[in-house]
Amino acid sequence: MSGRAVTFTKEQIADYAEASGDHNPIHLDDQFARTVGLPGVIAHGLLQMGLMATVASEAAGGPDRLLRLYCRFNGMVVPGDTVTFTAEPAGPGKLELRAVNQRGEPVLTKSFAEYLE
Amino acid sequence: MSGKVEAGAAGVAGRTYPSVAFEIEPERAAAFARAIGADPEAGVPPTFAAVYSLGVTAPQLFGDPDAAVDFARLLHAEQEFRWTRRPRPGETVSSQGHVASDVSRRGMRFVSFETETTDSAGEPLCRSRALFVIRP
Repeated sequence: MSGRAVTFTKEQIADYAEASGDHNPIHLDDQFARTVGLPGVIAHGLLQMGLMATVASEAAGGPDRLLRLYCRFNGMVVPGDTVTFTAEPAGPGKLELRAVNQRGEPVLTKSFAEYLE
Repeated sequence: MSGKVEAGAAGVAGRTYPSVAFEIEPERAAAFARAIGADPEAGVPPTFAAVYSLGVTAPQLFGDPDAAVDFARLLHAEQEFRWTRRPRPGETVSSQGHVASDVSRRGMRFVSFETETTDSAGEPLCRSRALFVIRP
């Protein structure tokens, strides 16, 4: 099993916004995020997915082997949350992917990868 | 009447947007790799498709007045990428977005948005499928 635990920070979320070009203020501006009913800034789902892909790539034997990646975004991730991303073999060429926060709540569900064996 | 499906108030199912070209700048791909804890020397990260595929086409949907997507109420519910191969740093790719479905259910609107990315020879590279939910 491959895995890593990541504690999210505002800086990391801002770095992802800059690198990805997704500057939605719900990820960058606490005050704005609260006006739309969020507790404050939240991490991009695609940042979670990127971290998940890094773990899946390691489990698959390298990023060139990844053929398919699916993630369902199940819950908000906020700065200070620690999310543990794991990839487990689930049959030939398939990985079951999990991302669980420090309270044991899944933030990605039904997620999987397919790879070239 | 559970499971009733009705067209969204401004449903744009079936709409296809013009193809967008995008150059994969090596520095940007490396910055993206660092942001997701990947090795910036290991080439273009697979989920850089969030930029070269989904990232260049989704703004066409969000900016479409007929689609009337309220960005502040938008949730990214699901994402799938399928790759034929990984693009190379410096490569220019083309992506075309398409609204696969657009339905409203109990006040929530669900938009399935698909993007096909090809290389400069027109060969398939990546397919993206995003499910967006727009809260009331």
